[in-house]
Amino acid sequence: MDAVTYPDSKVVNFINENLIPLQVQFDAQPLASDFHIKWTPTLITLDADGREHHRTVGYLAPDEMIPSLLLGMGKSCFENERFDEATTYLEKILADYPKSDSAPEALYLRGVCRYKNTHDPKPLKEAYEQLRDEYPSNEWTKRAYPYRLL
Amino acid sequence: MKDKIKWETEMDGALARARSEKKHVLLDFFNPG
Repeated sequence: MDAVTYPDSKVVNFINENLIPLQVQFDAQPLASDFHIKWTPTLITLDADGREHHRTVGYLAPDEMIPSLLLGMGKSCFENERFDEATTYLEKILADYPKSDSAPEALYLRGVCRYKNTHDPKPLKEAYEQLRDEYPSNEWTKRAYPYRLL
Repeated sequence: MKDKIKWETEMDGALARARSEKKHVLLDFFNPG
């Protein structure tokens, strides 16, 4: 990460502008135990109360790093029931990083956010149909499979 | 000089900034090698 991803200018700008970056050694206590760290790099998105919402283990290339961070921010907003704000982050992934590994989960979660806001099941079915068309063998397409019946 | 990520090194300070600036925290556990 220090050799390739963290020096990348887009990654630097995104992190400095949108997040509070905190770097600690893998064996720093009590954090390493509190977060059950077993391997590095482990990257975790926290809300401002210190609650975990997203985690990745292993190297992320620069073009996967920003969408993964956006997904973490979106999941944090979703889990705090701020669905409009979550949708903004998720749509940024779909618009700017549609080929990233984070995009299918973002598409799934955007459908859930829309459903949560409206209680109309149509966005769930639309999410499945878009996942089926654009990411046919992705795990999130399989998770959305029951929504085809809505 | 090229910009770098401005890492915090203490959780309490990072969370205080997160609340003040209404941002999330990126927590990176790293191995210095």
